[in-house]
Amino acid sequence: MNPFGLNAYILISALLFAIGFFGVLLRKNTLVIYMCLELMLIASTVALVAFSRFNGTLDGGVFVFFILTIAAAEVAVGLAIIVALFRKRQTIAVDELNTLKH
Amino acid sequence: MTMLQYAIALLLLPLASAAFIALFLRRAGGPAAALSTAAAAVIAVISVMLLLNGGHFESSVDWIRFGDFAIPIGIKFDDLAALMLVIVGVVGFCVHVFSLGYMHDDPARARFFGGLSIFMFSMIGIVLADNLFMIFIFWELVGFSSYVLINHYHERQSASDAAKKAFIVNRVGDWGFLLGIIWCYYCFGSVNLTTLAGLTGDESVVCSKWIPLLLFCGALGKSAQMPLQVWLPDAMEGPTPVSALIHAATMVAAGIYMLCRIHFLMVPDALSVIMWTGTITALYAALCAIVQSDIKKVLAYSTLSQLGYMVAAFGLGSLPGEPGMGKLALTAGAAAAMFHLTTHAFFKGLLFLGSGSVIHGCHHEQDIFKMGGLMRKMPVTFLTFTIGVLAIIGLPGLAGFFSKDAILYLAMEKNPAVFGILVFTAVLTSFYMIRMWKIAFFGSARSESASHAHESGLSMTLPLLLLAALSIAAGYSGVFGKLAGSIVHLVPEAEGSTHTTMVLISVGILLIGAGSAWFFYQAASTDALEEKSPGAFGALEWLKESFDRLYNYYVAKIQQRFAMLLNFLEQIFLAGLIIRGFAGLVGLVGYGARALYAGSLNAYVYWFLLGAVLLWAFAAGIF
Amino acid sequence: MPNLLFYLFAFLSVGGALLVVLNKNAVNAAMFLLVSLLGVAGLFVLLDAALLAFVLLLVYAGAVVALFLFIIMLLDTSPGAQKPFTAAAIGAATIGGVLLLLGVRSLCKQGAMPLAPAGGMGPSLKNYAEQLFTTYLLPVQIVGFMLLIAMLGVIVLSKKFEVTEKAP
Repeated sequence: MNPFGLNAYILISALLFAIGFFGVLLRKNTLVIYMCLELMLIASTVALVAFSRFNGTLDGGVFVFFILTIAAAEVAVGLAIIVALFRKRQTIAVDELNTLKH
Repeated sequence: MTMLQYAIALLLLPLASAAFIALFLRRAGGPAAALSTAAAAVIAVISVMLLLNGGHFESSVDWIRFGDFAIPIGIKFDDLAALMLVIVGVVGFCVHVFSLGYMHDDPARARFFGGLSIFMFSMIGIVLADNLFMIFIFWELVGFSSYVLINHYHERQSASDAAKKAFIVNRVGDWGFLLGIIWCYYCFGSVNLTTLAGLTGDESVVCSKWIPLLLFCGALGKSAQMPLQVWLPDAMEGPTPVSALIHAATMVAAGIYMLCRIHFLMVPDALSVIMWTGTITALYAALCAIVQSDIKKVLAYSTLSQLGYMVAAFGLGSLPGEPGMGKLALTAGAAAAMFHLTTHAFFKGLLFLGSGSVIHGCHHEQDIFKMGGLMRKMPVTFLTFTIGVLAIIGLPGLAGFFSKDAILYLAMEKNPAVFGILVFTAVLTSFYMIRMWKIAFFGSARSESASHAHESGLSMTLPLLLLAALSIAAGYSGVFGKLAGSIVHLVPEAEGSTHTTMVLISVGILLIGAGSAWFFYQAASTDALEEKSPGAFGALEWLKESFDRLYNYYVAKIQQRFAMLLNFLEQIFLAGLIIRGFAGLVGLVGYGARALYAGSLNAYVYWFLLGAVLLWAFAAGIF
Repeated sequence: MPNLLFYLFAFLSVGGALLVVLNKNAVNAAMFLLVSLLGVAGLFVLLDAALLAFVLLLVYAGAVVALFLFIIMLLDTSPGAQKPFTAAAIGAATIGGVLLLLGVRSLCKQGAMPLAPAGGMGPSLKNYAEQLFTTYLLPVQIVGFMLLIAMLGVIVLSKKFEVTEKAP
């Protein structure tokens, strides 16, 4: 089932991560940035499962469970924060949310 | 209670009195005065009781410990301490009673009595101390008490200046003292007096002749010998009871006492330096006293002169033919110095208190040329003052005669040059004392305040009478023997033909000095010497000013410039480079750290990227 | 055949991700995230972790993306005028791109890494459960606690703060 070695999966994981990173870097909408963060998390899950498969253990997979849980909780709290922020500032463009400057 | 417990109570009682006054009785002058005087009375009683009980004891406890080194606090009670305690106790008590009347109208009475109590504590500490460190601690405390008391009228600039001067000049002496103590510890391994006496008993163990000289520096400061004598005349800015207690009877005598305590460390070279210092001080002070017009200043210079006598006596060492130092409990010179110290405490205390009575009666007039006619107006004061004057000039039969004779006899046997100078000084002593006595008390009143003079109250005259009695009696071997225990046997006494010579010389001194003063000076409002021979007057005045001018020059030109140089260096290096440098460094780091708090999200992403790059480089093996 | 499936799912996931980043509209971006998730789920199946694939779809696609869409449509924002990219952003993007290229290159040069023997613990529900409840029990408990805290946090965060300020 796997004519390709580990390399391919790691490559995919790296690509996904990089794309997510570029998204965080370059997008202005807070929600889209958040989605790109989720992309990065997904990339890490791919890497984990790939390694766990190629080592024959289950540990990577178990860790994916935790990542999923964390991601879900994080999304919930993060979105609540964004909503509260929107209520206060009426904007979700990242370059306007800069009142915490020193 | 055992004797040791009495001694500890003696030490702690004035401290308790001072603490109580400082904490609770700041505004209450009356109760403070009563408390302090009661403490002084108890001290006097206990000291007499300890003396009569006899017996010597020692005890000590380690106060601070640093590894092997410990500073002990202890009590050493022997004949010397017993004698000194009685002097301090009796004169202290008299001064306290006198102050009840003298300071009655003073608004800061409580502070004054608190200061007196602290002084009693410090002085008793010096007397009872059994090691050099403890002596030093209480030495400094006595200096502090002196500062507080001289500064009593602190609204007057001259009083503040005088207090500062006293403290600073004492400090200079104390620096030498401390060096001596440290060297002594380093050399002998202990500063306990008994241990040191045992060690240096045989004359082969002599570390250096500088140790006794350095320790003598302390006496230079405290007993106001040359060249550190400049503070004592200025210390007359304090109230008169202070001058009586501290600057006549007890504190300045502490230097002599300390010298007697460490007499076993002395070497002949050191002793000759000490002797000449004392002699020159005696002569200088006597010359300066001739031209003073303030009654207290005359007495101050007289004190300086008598202290010079004591120091010279100590420096004369043992009689020729006696065994060397260390074999005796005290040398003859030291015993003579202690004898003179005792009698001096009584009659100088009497003279100062008498002058206080005069000043109080003349409504704080201190210039003798503005007094006069007090013989009839203040009879008790006049009587007691006269007894004091006669004692100091050495009228045969009074205390001063015996003690001064002892010193002169010792000088005659050991060193004719010193003997000659001391005889001349004795003539001068008679001269200026009679001058002051005549101008202040005789003739008619020369000013408003003098004409309204009245005899002082009982609280002031009773101590005068007590001290007068002691001034007469303390010279006789019966009384002094009781006071001094074994010391009295060491006092040099002239026998046989030399006895006659000494008596003749003493009477001769008395007649020449007193007689010339009596006939030369009139009870007028101007100084006869100034009128008749302004050159001599000016010369003597210049003598008095010379030291002050020298010190002023030194402080202003040399020390001040050095201090400014140090200040400049400190500003650059310590304050600037090190302190502000470090603060600036920390500030810079903070500034840099603040840059991390950019408000924008993107900045954090850039930091993230930077971290990723660094980790990558690390993993790739670049670092 | 497996090659093809692999290529398909890989294309889905990477392509979806690219379109998430490049799309102006937020709702479109969420949709493409969904596509990317599908691709990843397929990759999981190829890696013999079918359970994980389904869990992923359930949690992520079902809950997380739904939540995202919900919020996107709640905060009805119009995309503002796109400001030009700052120099810092371009610089950072360049560095990121360089790193990516380096990584890819090193991976390609590596050569295929072999498969592990298919024995051992197979990825089945029973085995996962066994691991979760023995070796990884502590993290499970902590994660449970964390979920509780997240819940509390969300409740607190969504209260109307103006009301409490006006309370006497």
